[in-house]
Amino acid sequence: MGQLWESFIIAFKDVFANKTRSFLTMLGIIIGILSVSLMGTAISGINDTFENSMDMIGNDVLHLQKYPWFMKGGDWWDFRNRPEMKVEYVDKILQRSKNISFATPEMQNMRNVKYGDNSIQGVFIDAANWQLQHVNSLKFEDGRFFTKSEDRNASRVVVIGYGIKDNLFPNQNPIGEDIKIRGMKYKVIGVLKEQGKFLGLFSFDNMVIIPLKSAYSIFGRRRRMSITLKVREGVDIKTAKDEVTMIMRSLRGLKPSEKNNFEINQQEAFREQFSAIKMGISGAGFGITALALLVGGIGIMNIMFVSVKERTKEIGIRKALGAKQNVILFQFLSEAVIIAVIGGVIGLIITTSLVGLLNKFFVASLSIKLVIISLSVSIITGVLSGIVPARKAAKLDPIDAIRYE
Amino acid sequence: MALLELNNIYKTYKIGTVEVHALQGLNAVIEKNEYVSIMGPSGSGKSTLMNVIGCLDTPTEGNYLLDGLTVHSNDPEKEKLDDNKLAEIRNQKIGFVFQTFNLLPRATALHNVELPLIYAGISKKARMEKAHSTLIKVGLGDRMHHKPNELSGGQRQRVAIARALVNNPSIILADEPTGNLDSKTSAEIMVFLDKLHSAGNTIILVTHEHNIAEHAHRIITLLDGKVSKDSKTEKGSRKQMIENN
Repeated sequence: MGQLWESFIIAFKDVFANKTRSFLTMLGIIIGILSVSLMGTAISGINDTFENSMDMIGNDVLHLQKYPWFMKGGDWWDFRNRPEMKVEYVDKILQRSKNISFATPEMQNMRNVKYGDNSIQGVFIDAANWQLQHVNSLKFEDGRFFTKSEDRNASRVVVIGYGIKDNLFPNQNPIGEDIKIRGMKYKVIGVLKEQGKFLGLFSFDNMVIIPLKSAYSIFGRRRRMSITLKVREGVDIKTAKDEVTMIMRSLRGLKPSEKNNFEINQQEAFREQFSAIKMGISGAGFGITALALLVGGIGIMNIMFVSVKERTKEIGIRKALGAKQNVILFQFLSEAVIIAVIGGVIGLIITTSLVGLLNKFFVASLSIKLVIISLSVSIITGVLSGIVPARKAAKLDPIDAIRYE
Repeated sequence: MALLELNNIYKTYKIGTVEVHALQGLNAVIEKNEYVSIMGPSGSGKSTLMNVIGCLDTPTEGNYLLDGLTVHSNDPEKEKLDDNKLAEIRNQKIGFVFQTFNLLPRATALHNVELPLIYAGISKKARMEKAHSTLIKVGLGDRMHHKPNELSGGQRQRVAIARALVNNPSIILADEPTGNLDSKTSAEIMVFLDKLHSAGNTIILVTHEHNIAEHAHRIITLLDGKVSKDSKTEKGSRKQMIENN
């Protein structure tokens, strides 16, 4: 054991005795580990944010709409000619359905929002009823959601996203303040918890929520509407979807031969799209990683052969003095592994600094698991590329080796 | 029992299709605390014999006993020693001193002397103590942290001798130890080897220089892979006379 440790120390010194050479040899590994850890971080970051966004959409939420989210074939004109959603459906669905616990109509539009001299262009205004907080399981940083009576009375109250609060009220408690939406005064009654970004999509952070009835004067009545339904806890989402389909067909008076003239969208549609993106990223990442590691591994193998050749005499001396084969083998194997692991660590350090850049787009962090995977990959690459040269060194004939000049 | 017994040793190399018979039925017995020179013209098998004695190589045929250990035997019952076993014997029993010193160029004198102890699996503390005291013994107490290129030829060879001594080997095997040194330094080194012999070490000296060989008490002369002459030197005869009296 002591001998192997000594071999390791010797190998370590040799790596540092040839700094430039060792560093150049590491480049392939650095790129390989950079690629694997960066891709891994990106994927897990995107994944987390996606799941977060999915939670916002809700995995037990159905979106009753005119259009499907992702059109797979079908004639756009057929969709376009479908009738619009109506607010009345909400109560009817709630009355008839056993599987839906909450429902809200939703209208969305972009408007400028102002507070004093601060203003934000093109804020998503989400107009809904009081049940939205249950449908989307909203969490509050401060304040509350609007009540049933505020909803019914079309009160001018507003719940703002965390990003809106940050921009309009940088150093001030917004609760009780009035903001202006298209010239109309709205009193802030609640601030939502920060939800994180997903390329700026589907986040309540940069939205404001107002009672639907108060929105007609801002949006007009003829805005496109959707209905968002919360599936009762413990109920299979498919069962609920089938039930809502039947209710809608009967509300629309469709004959059995007629096709649905509405769409029930759910998270699943996003998931399908997303997993395709994820596959693309991981596929490309895996390809780059494998290629870089292969090139890096060959580089190490090459330099190890040079190292063994250069140190033939040294190996001969060591063997003459009693070094056994496994001690020599371990020395050169260590050298290869040390080069690979230092390369891996450098790759990880670069990744850490680049993660900051990724964070501009979505929340990402280098996980311990990825660090362990990266280092294991480095070690394996080092062993695989070092084993052949190290065996060659171990098997050298001491007489020939010691005479080598 | 003799320290070293070579019995009918043959060594045949194949270089391409040509067979070279380097040793052809060589016999020799060397006792503990002997001081022996091996001489002979080039091609007589000196180097091969030296490799066989030093366990760097195994004979093709013949029996070789070293310090009670069968290194090679014609007896098919006895298993052949592998590379690792030979390394262990070299580490424990042989101290090499080479013509070209063969020190590790990037290591300090101290680390060079430490090497055999590392491969013997001795603890760091014990190693340092032994390497230190051995370097002091060869008069290099103030040069321990110098690298070989910072040392003179004589000093390098003394580092090599310290390295050969450090693990208390059965034999010190010196192959042309003065071959790369000037006459003054050579004389110094030879005085040193003489002292080691007086201290109880067994020394085998391979050389082609007569005045160097004369330091030993016995000269074995090789010719065509066999011992052609085995005689006492002046020193050896004197020593025997003293012992007999």
